[in-house]
Amino acid sequence: MSDKWPLKEVEQPDLLEDMFDYSLPPLIKFDGPICEEIDGKLVKFDPQEAVKRDLVITDTTFRDGQQARPPYTVEQQVHIYDLLAKLGGPNGVIRQTEFFLYTQNDRNALDKCRELGHRFPEITGWIRADKGDFRLVKEMGLKETGMLTSSSDYHIFLKLKKDRKKALEDYLAVVEAAWEAGVRPRCHLEDVTRASIDGFVLPFVTELVKRSEQVPSHLTAKVRLCDTMGFGVTYPGARLPRSVPKLVYRMVHDAGVPPERLEWHGHNDFHKVHINGATAWLYGCNALNATLLGFGERTGNPPLEGAIIEYIALKGGLNGIETTYITEIADYMRSIGVEIAPNYPFVGRDFATTRAGIHAGGLRSDERIYNIFDTNAILGRSPRVAITDKSGAQGVAHWVNEYLGLKGEDRLSITKVAKIARWVMDQYEVEKRLTAISEGEMEAQVKEHLPQYVEKLKRK
Amino acid sequence: MTVEERVINVTAKVLHMDPTEITLDKSFTEDLGAQSVQSIELVAAFEEEFDIEMDEDEALAVTTVGGAVNYIKTYLDK
Repeated sequence: MSDKWPLKEVEQPDLLEDMFDYSLPPLIKFDGPICEEIDGKLVKFDPQEAVKRDLVITDTTFRDGQQARPPYTVEQQVHIYDLLAKLGGPNGVIRQTEFFLYTQNDRNALDKCRELGHRFPEITGWIRADKGDFRLVKEMGLKETGMLTSSSDYHIFLKLKKDRKKALEDYLAVVEAAWEAGVRPRCHLEDVTRASIDGFVLPFVTELVKRSEQVPSHLTAKVRLCDTMGFGVTYPGARLPRSVPKLVYRMVHDAGVPPERLEWHGHNDFHKVHINGATAWLYGCNALNATLLGFGERTGNPPLEGAIIEYIALKGGLNGIETTYITEIADYMRSIGVEIAPNYPFVGRDFATTRAGIHAGGLRSDERIYNIFDTNAILGRSPRVAITDKSGAQGVAHWVNEYLGLKGEDRLSITKVAKIARWVMDQYEVEKRLTAISEGEMEAQVKEHLPQYVEKLKRK
Repeated sequence: MTVEERVINVTAKVLHMDPTEITLDKSFTEDLGAQSVQSIELVAAFEEEFDIEMDEDEALAVTTVGGAVNYIKTYLDK
Protein backbone atom coordinates (compact mmCIF):
# COMPACT_ATOMS: atom_id res chain seq x y z
CA MET A 1 0.00 0.00 0.00
CA SER A 2 1.20 3.52 -0.76
CA ASP A 3 3.06 5.33 2.05
CA LYS A 4 2.09 8.65 0.59
CA TRP A 5 -1.61 7.86 0.40
CA PRO A 6 -2.41 5.33 3.12
CA LEU A 7 -5.94 3.94 3.16
CA LYS A 8 -8.10 5.59 5.80
CA GLU A 9 -10.71 3.12 7.00
CA VAL A 10 -13.90 4.58 8.50
CA GLU A 11 -16.51 3.25 10.91
CA GLN A 12 -19.33 4.78 8.89
CA PRO A 13 -19.41 5.59 5.16
CA ASP A 14 -18.48 9.15 4.33
CA LEU A 15 -21.35 10.20 2.08
CA LEU A 16 -20.01 13.77 1.68
CA GLU A 17 -23.32 15.10 2.90
CA ASP A 18 -22.08 18.67 3.14
CA MET A 19 -22.25 18.62 -0.66
CA PHE A 20 -24.65 15.77 -1.28
CA ASP A 21 -27.45 16.59 1.13
CA TYR A 22 -30.03 14.26 -0.38
CA SER A 23 -32.88 16.65 0.37
CA LEU A 24 -31.43 19.26 -2.02
CA PRO A 25 -29.77 19.32 -5.42
CA PRO A 26 -26.05 18.70 -4.80
CA LEU A 27 -24.42 21.87 -3.54
CA ILE A 28 -21.58 23.49 -5.47
CA LYS A 29 -18.72 24.37 -3.13
CA PHE A 30 -15.61 26.35 -3.96
CA ASP A 31 -12.20 26.06 -2.37
CA GLY A 32 -11.21 29.64 -3.09
CA PRO A 33 -11.22 32.41 -5.65
CA ILE A 34 -11.46 31.85 -9.40
CA CYS A 35 -8.56 33.40 -11.29
CA GLU A 36 -8.56 34.87 -14.80
CA GLU A 37 -5.94 36.88 -16.64
CA ILE A 38 -7.60 39.91 -18.18
CA ASP A 39 -5.67 42.61 -20.02
CA GLY A 40 -2.43 41.13 -18.68
CA LYS A 41 -3.56 41.34 -15.05
CA LEU A 42 -4.49 38.48 -12.75
CA VAL A 43 -8.09 39.06 -11.70
CA LYS A 44 -9.68 37.14 -8.86
CA PHE A 45 -13.39 36.44 -8.59
CA ASP A 46 -14.75 35.35 -5.25
CA PRO A 47 -17.56 32.80 -5.63
CA GLN A 48 -18.56 33.34 -2.00
CA GLU A 49 -19.26 36.97 -2.83
CA ALA A 50 -21.10 35.92 -5.95
CA VAL A 51 -23.56 33.63 -4.20
CA LYS A 52 -24.31 36.34 -1.63
CA ARG A 53 -25.44 38.68 -4.40
CA ASP A 54 -29.13 38.94 -5.28
CA LEU A 55 -28.90 36.35 -8.05
CA VAL A 56 -32.16 36.11 -9.96
CA ILE A 57 -33.69 34.38 -12.93
CA THR A 58 -35.50 36.43 -15.52
CA ASP A 59 -37.86 34.69 -17.86
CA THR A 60 -38.34 35.05 -21.59
CA THR A 61 -40.70 32.14 -22.21
CA PHE A 62 -43.28 34.46 -23.74
CA ARG A 63 -40.77 36.37 -25.87
CA ASP A 64 -37.78 34.36 -27.07
CA GLY A 65 -39.61 31.17 -26.10
CA GLN A 66 -42.48 32.01 -28.42
CA GLN A 67 -40.11 32.71 -31.28
CA ALA A 68 -39.49 28.98 -31.42
CA ARG A 69 -43.09 27.75 -31.50
CA PRO A 70 -46.63 28.70 -32.43
CA PRO A 71 -48.01 31.41 -30.13
CA TYR A 72 -49.53 30.41 -26.82
CA THR A 73 -53.19 31.25 -26.33
CA VAL A 74 -54.04 33.87 -23.75
CA GLU A 75 -55.27 31.16 -21.37
CA GLN A 76 -52.07 29.18 -21.79
CA GLN A 77 -49.91 32.24 -21.13
CA VAL A 78 -51.87 33.10 -18.02
CA HIS A 79 -51.60 29.56 -16.67
CA ILE A 80 -47.87 29.37 -17.40
CA TYR A 81 -47.34 32.77 -15.77
CA ASP A 82 -49.20 31.56 -12.69
CA LEU A 83 -47.01 28.46 -12.52
CA LEU A 84 -43.86 30.55 -12.96
CA ALA A 85 -44.92 32.73 -10.03
CA LYS A 86 -45.49 29.67 -7.85
CA LEU A 87 -42.21 28.06 -8.90
CA GLY A 88 -40.14 31.18 -8.22
CA GLY A 89 -41.81 31.80 -4.87
CA PRO A 90 -42.57 34.95 -2.92
CA ASN A 91 -38.97 36.19 -2.84
CA GLY A 92 -38.92 36.55 -6.58
CA VAL A 93 -36.16 34.15 -7.53
CA ILE A 94 -37.91 34.34 -10.90
CA ARG A 95 -37.82 38.11 -10.82
CA GLN A 96 -39.15 39.24 -14.18
CA THR A 97 -40.76 37.97 -17.35
CA GLU A 98 -40.96 39.85 -20.62
CA PHE A 99 -43.85 40.09 -23.03
CA PHE A 100 -44.25 41.06 -26.62
CA LEU A 101 -46.59 44.01 -26.91
CA TYR A 102 -47.36 44.02 -30.62
CA THR A 103 -50.51 41.93 -30.94
CA GLN A 104 -53.86 42.19 -29.17
CA ASN A 105 -53.26 38.65 -27.99
CA ASP A 106 -49.99 39.74 -26.31
CA ARG A 107 -51.67 42.65 -24.60
CA ASN A 108 -54.68 40.63 -23.44
CA ALA A 109 -52.38 38.02 -21.95
CA LEU A 110 -50.39 40.69 -20.15
CA ASP A 111 -53.53 42.21 -18.64
CA LYS A 112 -54.85 38.87 -17.47
CA CYS A 113 -51.51 37.88 -15.97
CA ARG A 114 -51.43 41.10 -13.98
CA GLU A 115 -54.96 40.42 -12.76
CA LEU A 116 -53.59 37.37 -10.93
CA GLY A 117 -51.95 39.79 -8.52
CA HIS A 118 -48.56 38.08 -8.24
CA ARG A 119 -45.72 40.34 -7.14
CA PHE A 120 -43.23 38.19 -9.05
CA PRO A 121 -42.33 37.72 -11.79
CA GLU A 122 -42.66 41.40 -12.64
CA ILE A 123 -43.82 41.90 -16.20
CA THR A 124 -41.61 43.87 -18.53
CA GLY A 125 -41.88 44.58 -22.24
CA TRP A 126 -39.81 43.91 -25.29
CA ILE A 127 -39.73 46.28 -28.23
CA ARG A 128 -37.61 47.07 -31.22
CA ALA A 129 -35.37 50.12 -30.75
CA ASP A 130 -38.07 52.37 -32.13
CA LYS A 131 -39.14 55.52 -30.33
CA GLY A 132 -42.75 55.02 -31.39
CA ASP A 133 -42.93 51.72 -29.58
CA PHE A 134 -42.77 53.44 -26.21
CA ARG A 135 -46.41 54.36 -26.68
CA LEU A 136 -47.19 50.64 -26.35
CA VAL A 137 -45.06 50.33 -23.23
CA LYS A 138 -46.72 53.32 -21.62
CA GLU A 139 -50.21 52.21 -22.60
CA MET A 140 -49.62 48.88 -20.94
CA GLY A 141 -48.35 50.59 -17.80
CA LEU A 142 -45.00 48.82 -17.82
CA LYS A 143 -42.06 50.21 -15.90
CA GLU A 144 -39.33 48.52 -17.90
CA THR A 145 -38.78 47.34 -21.40
CA GLY A 146 -36.07 45.57 -23.27
CA MET A 147 -34.96 47.01 -26.58
CA LEU A 148 -32.69 45.82 -29.33
CA THR A 149 -29.30 47.49 -29.32
CA SER A 150 -27.35 45.21 -31.60
CA SER A 151 -23.65 45.39 -30.92
CA SER A 152 -21.68 43.40 -33.49
CA ASP A 153 -20.61 44.70 -36.86
CA TYR A 154 -22.52 41.76 -38.32
CA HIS A 155 -25.68 43.44 -37.09
CA ILE A 156 -24.68 47.09 -37.29
CA PHE A 157 -23.23 47.02 -40.79
CA LEU A 158 -24.82 43.99 -42.44
CA LYS A 159 -28.31 44.06 -40.93
CA LEU A 160 -28.97 47.66 -39.91
CA LYS A 161 -26.84 49.14 -42.73
CA LYS A 162 -25.35 51.68 -40.32
CA ASP A 163 -21.91 52.40 -39.01
CA ARG A 164 -20.91 52.22 -35.36
CA LYS A 165 -21.33 55.96 -34.74
CA LYS A 166 -24.81 56.03 -36.23
CA ALA A 167 -25.84 52.91 -34.32
CA LEU A 168 -24.55 54.32 -31.03
CA GLU A 169 -26.33 57.63 -31.55
CA ASP A 170 -29.58 55.95 -32.53
CA TYR A 171 -29.51 53.61 -29.55
CA LEU A 172 -28.83 56.44 -27.14
CA ALA A 173 -31.65 58.43 -28.66
CA VAL A 174 -34.06 55.59 -27.98
CA VAL A 175 -32.75 55.26 -24.43
CA GLU A 176 -33.41 58.99 -23.95
CA ALA A 177 -36.90 58.46 -25.34
CA ALA A 178 -37.47 55.71 -22.78
CA TRP A 179 -36.45 58.03 -19.99
CA GLU A 180 -38.71 60.77 -21.34
CA ALA A 181 -41.55 58.26 -21.24
CA GLY A 182 -40.67 57.31 -17.68
CA VAL A 183 -39.73 53.78 -18.69
CA ARG A 184 -36.60 51.96 -17.59
CA PRO A 185 -34.60 50.85 -20.65
CA ARG A 186 -32.95 47.47 -20.77
CA CYS A 187 -30.47 47.46 -23.62
CA HIS A 188 -30.15 44.10 -25.27
CA LEU A 189 -26.62 43.98 -26.67
CA GLU A 190 -27.43 41.57 -29.47
CA ASP A 191 -24.58 39.44 -30.77
CA VAL A 192 -22.19 40.71 -28.11
CA THR A 193 -20.06 37.55 -28.31
CA ARG A 194 -19.19 38.57 -31.87
CA ALA A 195 -18.81 42.29 -31.24
CA SER A 196 -15.89 44.66 -30.91
CA ILE A 197 -15.73 45.11 -27.16
CA ASP A 198 -13.27 48.00 -27.13
CA GLY A 199 -14.47 49.53 -30.38
CA PHE A 200 -18.22 49.59 -29.77
CA VAL A 201 -19.54 47.81 -26.69
CA LEU A 202 -17.51 49.66 -24.06
CA PRO A 203 -18.02 53.09 -25.66
CA PHE A 204 -21.79 52.52 -25.82
CA VAL A 205 -22.21 50.97 -22.38
CA THR A 206 -19.93 53.49 -20.72
CA GLU A 207 -22.04 56.30 -22.18
CA LEU A 208 -25.18 54.49 -21.04
CA VAL A 209 -23.84 54.27 -17.49
CA LYS A 210 -22.80 57.91 -17.55
CA ARG A 211 -26.20 59.10 -18.74
CA SER A 212 -27.91 56.84 -16.20
CA GLU A 213 -26.32 58.93 -13.46
CA GLN A 214 -28.61 61.76 -14.53
CA VAL A 215 -31.88 59.83 -14.02
CA PRO A 216 -33.59 58.48 -10.90
CA SER A 217 -32.27 55.10 -9.80
CA HIS A 218 -35.45 53.26 -10.83
CA LEU A 219 -34.88 54.40 -14.42
CA THR A 220 -31.17 53.62 -14.73
CA ALA A 221 -30.43 51.58 -17.81
CA LYS A 222 -29.93 47.85 -17.54
CA VAL A 223 -27.64 45.88 -19.83
CA ARG A 224 -28.41 42.47 -21.22
CA LEU A 225 -25.47 40.59 -22.70
CA CYS A 226 -27.01 38.63 -25.56
CA ASP A 227 -25.03 35.65 -26.76
CA THR A 228 -27.29 35.60 -29.78
CA MET A 229 -25.51 32.81 -31.66
CA GLY A 230 -24.30 30.82 -28.67
CA PHE A 231 -20.64 31.65 -29.21
CA GLY A 232 -19.90 32.29 -25.53
CA VAL A 233 -17.36 30.06 -23.77
CA THR A 234 -16.38 29.74 -20.13
CA TYR A 235 -12.81 28.45 -20.38
CA PRO A 236 -10.30 30.53 -18.42
CA GLY A 237 -8.04 32.31 -20.85
CA ALA A 238 -10.50 32.27 -23.74
CA ARG A 239 -10.30 35.43 -25.81
CA LEU A 240 -12.90 38.18 -26.02
CA PRO A 241 -15.53 38.57 -27.30
CA ARG A 242 -16.33 34.90 -26.69
CA SER A 243 -15.19 34.73 -23.06
CA VAL A 244 -18.17 34.96 -20.71
CA PRO A 245 -16.00 35.78 -17.66
CA LYS A 246 -14.15 38.55 -19.47
CA LEU A 247 -17.31 40.03 -20.95
CA VAL A 248 -18.97 40.23 -17.55
CA TYR A 249 -15.81 41.57 -15.93
CA ARG A 250 -15.40 44.32 -18.47
CA MET A 251 -19.02 45.37 -18.13
CA VAL A 252 -18.77 45.60 -14.35
CA HIS A 253 -15.18 46.79 -13.98
CA ASP A 254 -14.51 48.86 -17.10
CA ALA A 255 -17.97 50.14 -18.01
CA GLY A 256 -19.22 50.42 -14.43
CA VAL A 257 -22.43 48.44 -14.81
CA PRO A 258 -23.41 47.21 -11.34
CA PRO A 259 -24.27 43.48 -11.15
CA GLU A 260 -27.92 44.21 -10.35
CA ARG A 261 -28.25 45.91 -13.73
CA LEU A 262 -26.47 43.23 -15.71
CA GLU A 263 -28.12 40.21 -17.30
CA TRP A 264 -26.98 37.24 -19.38
CA HIS A 265 -29.05 35.89 -22.27
CA GLY A 266 -27.67 32.83 -24.04
CA HIS A 267 -28.42 30.47 -26.89
CA ASN A 268 -27.66 26.80 -27.14
CA ASP A 269 -26.12 26.44 -30.58
CA PHE A 270 -22.99 24.84 -29.10
CA HIS A 271 -24.50 23.02 -26.09
CA LYS A 272 -23.13 25.67 -23.74
CA VAL A 273 -26.23 27.57 -22.87
CA HIS A 274 -26.72 26.56 -19.25
CA ILE A 275 -23.12 26.70 -18.10
CA ASN A 276 -22.60 30.06 -19.81
CA GLY A 277 -25.52 31.51 -17.88
CA ALA A 278 -24.38 30.07 -14.57
CA THR A 279 -20.86 31.33 -15.24
CA ALA A 280 -22.18 34.84 -15.86
CA TRP A 281 -23.82 34.65 -12.43
CA LEU A 282 -20.54 33.75 -10.79
CA TYR A 283 -18.48 36.40 -12.52
CA GLY A 284 -20.65 39.39 -11.72
CA CYS A 285 -23.99 39.28 -13.49
CA ASN A 286 -27.03 39.05 -11.21
CA ALA A 287 -29.70 38.07 -13.73
CA LEU A 288 -29.79 34.92 -15.82
CA ASN A 289 -32.38 35.13 -18.58
CA ALA A 290 -34.05 31.79 -19.27
CA THR A 291 -37.07 30.05 -20.76
CA LEU A 292 -39.13 27.13 -19.59
CA LEU A 293 -37.71 23.90 -21.03
CA GLY A 294 -35.10 25.99 -22.84
CA PHE A 295 -37.42 26.75 -25.76
CA GLY A 296 -36.17 29.69 -27.76
CA GLU A 297 -34.93 30.79 -31.12
CA ARG A 298 -33.23 27.88 -32.97
CA THR A 299 -31.55 25.73 -30.32
CA GLY A 300 -33.07 27.65 -27.46
CA ASN A 301 -32.15 29.57 -24.35
CA PRO A 302 -30.96 28.59 -20.87
CA PRO A 303 -33.58 26.21 -19.49
CA LEU A 304 -35.29 27.95 -16.60
CA GLU A 305 -35.73 24.76 -14.61
CA GLY A 306 -32.00 24.12 -14.94
CA ALA A 307 -31.31 27.63 -13.68
CA ILE A 308 -33.57 26.97 -10.70
CA ILE A 309 -31.63 23.83 -9.75
CA GLU A 310 -28.33 25.68 -10.28
CA TYR A 311 -29.54 28.54 -8.10
CA ILE A 312 -30.26 26.15 -5.24
CA ALA A 313 -26.93 24.37 -5.75
CA LEU A 314 -25.00 27.65 -5.60
CA LYS A 315 -27.03 29.35 -2.89
CA GLY A 316 -27.42 26.25 -0.74
CA GLY A 317 -31.11 26.74 -0.13
CA LEU A 318 -34.52 27.19 -1.73
CA ASN A 319 -35.22 30.85 -0.88
CA GLY A 320 -38.93 30.25 -1.39
CA ILE A 321 -38.65 28.21 -4.58
CA GLU A 322 -41.32 25.52 -4.93
CA THR A 323 -39.43 22.98 -7.00
CA THR A 324 -42.32 20.57 -7.53
CA TYR A 325 -43.85 23.12 -9.88
CA ILE A 326 -41.11 22.16 -12.34
CA THR A 327 -42.89 18.85 -12.83
CA GLU A 328 -46.30 20.50 -12.90
CA ILE A 329 -45.13 22.92 -15.58
CA ALA A 330 -43.75 20.07 -17.70
CA ASP A 331 -47.01 18.13 -17.32
CA TYR A 332 -48.97 21.20 -18.36
CA MET A 333 -46.70 21.80 -21.35
CA ARG A 334 -47.23 18.21 -22.49
CA SER A 335 -50.98 18.65 -22.08
CA ILE A 336 -50.92 21.53 -24.58
CA GLY A 337 -48.92 19.57 -27.11
CA VAL A 338 -45.36 20.53 -26.27
CA GLU A 339 -42.95 17.66 -26.88
CA ILE A 340 -40.25 17.07 -24.30
CA ALA A 341 -37.33 14.81 -25.20
CA PRO A 342 -37.39 11.62 -23.11
CA ASN A 343 -33.83 12.18 -21.87
CA TYR A 344 -34.37 15.85 -20.99
CA PRO A 345 -33.01 16.60 -17.48
CA PHE A 346 -35.46 16.94 -14.57
CA VAL A 347 -38.67 16.54 -16.59
CA GLY A 348 -38.06 14.08 -19.44
CA ARG A 349 -39.75 10.70 -19.32
CA ASP A 350 -36.47 8.93 -18.65
CA PHE A 351 -35.25 11.32 -15.96
CA ALA A 352 -34.58 9.31 -12.76
CA THR A 353 -35.36 6.17 -14.74
CA THR A 354 -32.86 3.35 -15.09
CA ARG A 355 -32.93 0.33 -17.37
CA ALA A 356 -29.92 -1.55 -16.06
CA GLY A 357 -30.61 -4.33 -13.60
CA ILE A 358 -27.49 -3.55 -11.59
CA HIS A 359 -28.63 0.05 -11.13
CA ALA A 360 -32.09 -1.17 -10.19
CA GLY A 361 -30.47 -3.40 -7.59
CA GLY A 362 -28.71 -0.35 -6.18
CA LEU A 363 -31.93 1.64 -6.12
CA ARG A 364 -33.61 -1.23 -4.33
CA SER A 365 -31.06 -1.36 -1.54
CA ASP A 366 -30.70 2.44 -1.15
CA GLU A 367 -32.08 4.83 -3.72
CA ARG A 368 -29.33 7.37 -3.00
CA ILE A 369 -26.89 5.11 -4.87
CA TYR A 370 -28.42 5.82 -8.27
CA ASN A 371 -30.72 8.81 -7.74
CA ILE A 372 -29.23 12.29 -8.11
CA PHE A 373 -31.21 13.73 -5.19
CA ASP A 374 -34.52 13.10 -3.48
CA THR A 375 -36.40 13.42 -6.74
CA ASN A 376 -39.65 12.47 -5.07
CA ALA A 377 -39.49 15.33 -2.55
CA ILE A 378 -37.94 17.88 -4.91
CA LEU A 379 -39.76 17.08 -8.14
CA GLY A 380 -42.52 14.69 -7.15
CA ARG A 381 -40.86 11.91 -9.14
CA SER A 382 -39.62 8.72 -7.55
CA PRO A 383 -36.74 6.93 -9.22
CA ARG A 384 -38.15 4.47 -11.72
CA VAL A 385 -37.00 1.43 -13.61
CA ALA A 386 -37.93 0.96 -17.25
CA ILE A 387 -38.26 -2.74 -17.91
CA THR A 388 -36.18 -4.33 -20.66
CA ASP A 389 -34.05 -7.47 -20.97
CA LYS A 390 -31.38 -5.61 -18.96
CA SER A 391 -33.61 -4.96 -15.95
CA GLY A 392 -33.27 -8.34 -14.23
CA ALA A 393 -35.37 -9.39 -11.25
CA GLN A 394 -34.00 -6.42 -9.29
CA GLY A 395 -35.41 -4.02 -11.83
CA VAL A 396 -38.73 -5.81 -11.92
CA ALA A 397 -38.93 -5.77 -8.12
CA HIS A 398 -38.20 -2.05 -8.04
CA TRP A 399 -40.84 -1.32 -10.68
CA VAL A 400 -43.46 -3.42 -8.90
CA ASN A 401 -42.74 -1.86 -5.51
CA GLU A 402 -42.96 1.64 -6.93
CA TYR A 403 -46.16 0.77 -8.77
CA LEU A 404 -47.73 -0.67 -5.63
CA GLY A 405 -46.39 2.19 -3.50
CA LEU A 406 -44.75 -0.20 -1.05
CA LYS A 407 -42.22 1.25 1.38
CA GLY A 408 -39.61 -0.12 3.79
CA GLU A 409 -40.26 -3.65 5.03
CA ASP A 410 -43.46 -3.87 3.01
CA ARG A 411 -41.49 -3.85 -0.23
CA LEU A 412 -41.59 -7.14 -2.08
CA SER A 413 -38.45 -9.23 -2.43
CA ILE A 414 -37.19 -10.40 -5.80
CA THR A 415 -38.53 -13.90 -5.21
CA LYS A 416 -42.06 -12.49 -4.99
CA VAL A 417 -41.74 -11.12 -8.50
CA ALA A 418 -40.02 -14.17 -9.97
CA LYS A 419 -42.94 -15.04 -12.26
CA ILE A 420 -43.08 -11.52 -13.66
CA ALA A 421 -39.30 -11.52 -14.12
CA ARG A 422 -39.62 -14.82 -16.01
CA TRP A 423 -42.33 -13.36 -18.25
CA VAL A 424 -40.08 -10.39 -19.00
CA MET A 425 -37.12 -12.61 -19.86
CA ASP A 426 -39.28 -14.81 -22.09
CA GLN A 427 -40.41 -11.75 -23.99
CA TYR A 428 -36.83 -11.25 -25.14
CA GLU A 429 -35.40 -14.77 -25.14
CA VAL A 430 -38.40 -16.64 -26.51
CA GLU A 431 -40.49 -14.00 -28.26
CA LYS A 432 -37.40 -12.16 -29.56
CA ARG A 433 -38.90 -8.82 -28.62
CA LEU A 434 -36.85 -5.68 -29.27
CA THR A 435 -38.90 -2.99 -27.52
CA ALA A 436 -39.19 -1.99 -23.85
CA ILE A 437 -42.04 -3.43 -21.80
CA SER A 438 -44.79 -0.85 -21.49
CA GLU A 439 -46.28 0.33 -18.23
CA GLY A 440 -49.60 -1.23 -19.24
CA GLU A 441 -48.02 -4.62 -19.81
CA MET A 442 -46.30 -4.49 -16.44
CA GLU A 443 -49.54 -3.51 -14.74
CA ALA A 444 -51.25 -6.50 -16.35
CA GLN A 445 -48.51 -8.80 -15.05
CA VAL A 446 -48.84 -7.42 -11.53
CA LYS A 447 -52.60 -7.95 -11.64
CA GLU A 448 -52.13 -11.52 -12.81
CA HIS A 449 -49.37 -12.61 -10.45
CA LEU A 450 -49.84 -10.38 -7.43
CA PRO A 451 -53.60 -9.81 -7.25
CA GLN A 452 -53.61 -9.60 -3.45
CA TYR A 453 -51.32 -6.56 -3.56
CA VAL A 454 -53.35 -4.89 -6.28
CA GLU A 455 -56.42 -5.28 -4.06
CA LYS A 456 -54.56 -3.61 -1.19
CA LEU A 457 -53.54 -0.80 -3.52
CA LYS A 458 -57.17 -0.29 -4.57
CA ARG A 459 -58.30 -0.16 -0.94
CA LYS A 460 -55.71 2.54 -0.24
CA MET B 1 -42.42 -38.06 -1.15
CA THR B 2 -39.27 -37.04 0.71
CA VAL B 3 -37.92 -33.48 0.92
CA GLU B 4 -35.04 -34.57 -1.34
CA GLU B 5 -37.43 -35.85 -4.03
CA ARG B 6 -39.59 -32.75 -3.86
CA VAL B 7 -36.56 -30.46 -4.18
CA ILE B 8 -35.32 -32.44 -7.18
CA ASN B 9 -38.75 -32.34 -8.84
CA VAL B 10 -39.10 -28.60 -8.35
CA THR B 11 -35.57 -28.03 -9.66
CA ALA B 12 -36.30 -30.17 -12.71
CA LYS B 13 -39.49 -28.28 -13.43
CA VAL B 14 -37.91 -24.81 -13.12
CA LEU B 15 -34.80 -25.72 -15.10
CA HIS B 16 -36.70 -27.81 -17.67
CA MET B 17 -34.67 -30.98 -16.99
CA ASP B 18 -35.28 -34.64 -16.37
CA PRO B 19 -35.29 -35.34 -12.59
CA THR B 20 -32.93 -38.26 -13.11
CA GLU B 21 -30.20 -35.83 -14.20
CA ILE B 22 -30.34 -34.07 -10.84
CA THR B 23 -28.48 -35.35 -7.79
CA LEU B 24 -27.85 -33.78 -4.40
CA ASP B 25 -24.22 -32.97 -5.13
CA LYS B 26 -25.03 -30.94 -8.25
CA SER B 27 -24.43 -27.16 -8.27
CA PHE B 28 -27.43 -25.16 -9.49
CA THR B 29 -25.36 -22.82 -11.63
CA GLU B 30 -22.22 -24.72 -12.63
CA ASP B 31 -23.72 -28.20 -13.15
CA LEU B 32 -27.36 -27.49 -13.89
CA GLY B 33 -26.86 -24.19 -15.71
CA ALA B 34 -29.28 -22.09 -13.65
CA GLN B 35 -29.19 -18.47 -14.76
CA SER B 36 -29.77 -15.44 -12.56
CA VAL B 37 -33.54 -15.30 -12.98
CA GLN B 38 -33.82 -19.07 -12.63
CA SER B 39 -32.07 -18.95 -9.25
CA ILE B 40 -34.77 -16.56 -8.10
CA GLU B 41 -37.46 -18.74 -9.65
CA LEU B 42 -36.06 -21.73 -7.79
CA VAL B 43 -36.27 -19.93 -4.44
CA ALA B 44 -39.82 -18.82 -5.25
CA ALA B 45 -40.80 -22.35 -6.34
CA PHE B 46 -39.34 -23.93 -3.18
CA GLU B 47 -41.30 -21.49 -1.05
CA GLU B 48 -44.46 -22.40 -2.91
CA GLU B 49 -43.80 -26.15 -2.76
CA PHE B 50 -43.08 -26.19 0.98
CA ASP B 51 -45.32 -23.26 1.95
CA ILE B 52 -42.47 -21.47 3.67
CA GLU B 53 -40.91 -18.02 3.40
CA MET B 54 -37.15 -18.12 3.33
CA ASP B 55 -34.57 -15.44 3.96
CA GLU B 56 -33.90 -14.23 0.43
CA ASP B 57 -30.18 -13.54 0.74
CA GLU B 58 -29.49 -16.81 2.56
CA ALA B 59 -31.57 -18.83 0.12
CA LEU B 60 -29.85 -17.31 -2.90
CA ALA B 61 -26.46 -18.09 -1.33
CA VAL B 62 -27.19 -21.84 -1.38
CA THR B 63 -25.23 -23.38 -4.24
CA THR B 64 -26.12 -27.08 -4.42
CA VAL B 65 -29.26 -29.18 -4.51
CA GLY B 66 -28.22 -30.90 -1.27
CA GLY B 67 -27.61 -27.50 0.29
CA ALA B 68 -31.12 -26.46 -0.66
CA VAL B 69 -32.54 -29.62 0.94
CA ASN B 70 -30.70 -28.91 4.19
CA TYR B 71 -31.66 -25.26 4.18
CA ILE B 72 -35.33 -26.00 3.55
CA LYS B 73 -35.31 -28.60 6.32
CA THR B 74 -34.28 -25.89 8.81
CA TYR B 75 -37.58 -24.17 8.03
CA LEU B 76 -39.61 -27.38 8.09
CA ASP B 77 -38.14 -28.29 11.48
CA LYS B 78 -39.26 -24.98 13.03
